Amino acid sequence: MKNRLKVLRAERDWSQQDLADQLSVSRQTINAIETEKYDPSLPLALKMGRLFDQSVEEIFTLEEAARRRAN
Amino acid sequence: MLIPILHRKRKAAEAAARALKDDVGGAIEQTRRIYGTRLLIRGLLWASVYLLSRGLLELTIPSTPLRVVMALLPTPFFIYYLWTWMKGVSEMDELQRRIELEALGFAFPAAVVFLMTIGLLDLAVTLNPDDWSLHHVWLMLPLVSYVGLFRAKRRYE
Repeated sequence: MKNRLKVLRAERDWSQQDLADQLSVSRQTINAIETEKYDPSLPLALKMGRLFDQSVEEIFTLEEAARRRAN
Repeated sequence: MLIPILHRKRKAAEAAARALKDDVGGAIEQTRRIYGTRLLIRGLLWASVYLLSRGLLELTIPSTPLRVVMALLPTPFFIYYLWTWMKGVSEMDELQRRIELEALGFAFPAAVVFLMTIGLLDLAVTLNPDDWSLHHVWLMLPLVSYVGLFRAKRRYE
């Protein structure tokens, strides 16, 4: 699953630790999500959506959908 | 005239928000540090009682009930250690919990394979009990668990 977390975080000039603190998770979790090694649970994805004021689909995309959009 | 004052106020509010965020981050980090220390202390306590029990059981004490008490002495300390670990897992975030689960998912089958192999080898060639009896072999199992933890952690780094 692709995500725009790093971009959204950079736009707000937040460090991984800043974002982790706001979502009550560890910095390692944010790093694993950003590097696409880990897909967050639905509650965490929804929390992210609320924090960035975006829908979950705007932050996370299935790889096939991203590929389809690129073609 | 008004703009610099507003600008200064905004800067002060941002600084206060950042300080609050740092405090929250610091508190989380501190909890993690304390939790790690607590687990370490209880682990060391259990290991010390285990070594004491082993040492006492090596002595030639004839009383069987006393020997049983000595043998059971480390068990409550180990349960206390496990309880601390389980409490810690329940306080972890979702990725850390997944890492613990994947570590167990590796450690349990690996431990079964290990014990099965030792058992079959014992039937085949009768292993030396001074090296391969249960009170030696169990020490390998925490090691398997740490290998599982190492693998799982590396996967998400």
